[in-house]
Amino acid sequence: MTDQPGWIRLTQGRDGAVLQAGGAWTVEHVAELDRQVGSLSIEAAPRALELGEIAAIDSAGAWLLARATGQGEQREIPWRNLPAEFQPLAERVLAAGPVASAGGPRRRTISDWVADVGAGLEQALAEALDLIAFFGEFVLAAGRVIANPRRFRVVPLLVHIEQTGINALPIVGLISFLVGVVLAYQGADQLRQFNAQFLTVNMVGISVLREMGILLTAIVVAGRSGSAFTAQIGTMQVSEEVDALRTMGLDPMEVLAIPRVTALVITLPLLTFFADLMGLLGGGVMCVLLIGMTFDQYVARLNDAVNATQFWVGMVKAPVFAILIALVGCFEGLRVTGSAESVGTMTTRSVVEGIFLVIIFDALFSILFSILSI
Amino acid sequence: MAERSIDAAGRHSANVIEIRGLVNQFGAQVLHDGLDLDVRQGEVLGVVGGSGSGKSVLLRTIIGLNRPAAGDIRVLGHLTRELDDEASRRLQTRWGVLFQNGALFSSLTVAENIQAPMRERGDIPRDLMEELAGLKVRLVGLPIEAAQKYPSQLSGGMKKRVGLARALALDPEILFLDEPTAGLDPIGAAEFDRLIRSLQQSLGLTVVMITHDLDSLVTICDRIAVLVDRKIKVGTLEELMHDPHPWIQSYFHGPRARAAGVAAG
Repeated sequence: MTDQPGWIRLTQGRDGAVLQAGGAWTVEHVAELDRQVGSLSIEAAPRALELGEIAAIDSAGAWLLARATGQGEQREIPWRNLPAEFQPLAERVLAAGPVASAGGPRRRTISDWVADVGAGLEQALAEALDLIAFFGEFVLAAGRVIANPRRFRVVPLLVHIEQTGINALPIVGLISFLVGVVLAYQGADQLRQFNAQFLTVNMVGISVLREMGILLTAIVVAGRSGSAFTAQIGTMQVSEEVDALRTMGLDPMEVLAIPRVTALVITLPLLTFFADLMGLLGGGVMCVLLIGMTFDQYVARLNDAVNATQFWVGMVKAPVFAILIALVGCFEGLRVTGSAESVGTMTTRSVVEGIFLVIIFDALFSILFSILSI
Repeated sequence: MAERSIDAAGRHSANVIEIRGLVNQFGAQVLHDGLDLDVRQGEVLGVVGGSGSGKSVLLRTIIGLNRPAAGDIRVLGHLTRELDDEASRRLQTRWGVLFQNGALFSSLTVAENIQAPMRERGDIPRDLMEELAGLKVRLVGLPIEAAQKYPSQLSGGMKKRVGLARALALDPEILFLDEPTAGLDPIGAAEFDRLIRSLQQSLGLTVVMITHDLDSLVTICDRIAVLVDRKIKVGTLEELMHDPHPWIQSYFHGPRARAAGVAAG
């Protein structure tokens, strides 16, 4: 802009040293003015700050002048001849003193870090307890609904079945198919060394049915439906819809959690079944291409390799994982407080916890099955 | 009243904002139809109008968040639609906006919020930004300790003050306020009105405020712009009191207006 930047200098007058400032003391030139003020030496103990030549000033400029003259401190240098139109601004800025910076954040030390770890652990434990309590509340609410089935909400259930089940079919199918392909490809590659390529079918069949189908489906569902539950309920929490429910005497657990959990308990096993099929299909395509068996041979071989137990070992986990994912999703959603940021935080947390719990429980199931020698 | 310093050179006319023939429409709904408005140097202009009359859209159009269907907007002498990116960025640093709920960045502290526009400038040393942020915190009447807090730790009234401090970060010439007193209790609202007025006078600001608050209109607005029939009528409170338009009549002669002391004035 066209204003002449401000300047400040020390001059020797008849009655001692005087600071003189002029030009535009505005935020536009603030970096340059800061340098000038910083390089100023007040060793000469100027008697006053002469401001008659100031052409423009704003709060940033006035602040720099206040700092240059040590306003509010012992060696305060008085201001003189500030043009009358700038007087209110100067008074305002000086009144906002004493001149002190806001100060930066405190430096963190190792003990802060240790304290953070402890606080994090404490929080995680508290959250685990809360989740267990939430499960208890859910069971009670479910008991009430079972005792009085008319209170069950059918329409939301159907909506959630559509959203979590039917809409998830393409992605679950594609992922399972590709994992079937990859398993068969890797398996055939390794087993060729033992001249046992035909065992690829056993490997694909057992790993898809027992682990891969259910685990992949659960992870995809935790990612797309668990997060959706948290975001939906969290948004309702932010806009006080959940509070509105409570004041009407409606139990959020009954209205929000039960339809979602029920929907997932229905859809996750169905999705798992679909994932099993697609995984086996992917493995079959690869076996036909790689090992040179016909598809009929693949099916016959598969029939020998796996039995119903393998299928049920995978399938029995589905409703358990469904309850875990849906509960965590609803739990984190109801924990949202106030801000939109909190919705994001809780949604992330819901996905991470959902997947974490699924894998923990999968490991527990493995131990259980090995004890039962299934 | 303090003259705006940069104006000493007489570079722009007495009107800091000139709107001519503004048309805003969304689908079939026409919000503004050939709207004209002048905002004078150094005044506090209150903008009122019924819900859905397009007050916020008018504000968003002036500050460039909404592109009008037709019309000219001249801010500080610049025709906004003819500015390139660089020039419009420079123009934007010459006004500050306080959004309705403060619109503070929730992941930043108060001091960092106020520094955000300064950071964008790029040439201000870190220490100076800290100092200036502290100064703005004090200017809007908050204790310096508030600077290190996060927005979630502040009350609604404090958030508005921080929003105001951020709007003032780069010492703007024009201040746009969207319902500054909404959601404040009457005492807090009156204090906020006084704060706006005193800052406006000492810093030489031109203020455009959307408001529903009749007390604000009476106590701090120099002129009032009423959005009716997709156009604007501007006048002092006195002039508008005698306007025959039915909406304006019922607005300034309703029970709330009497309570605010409009009728008495």
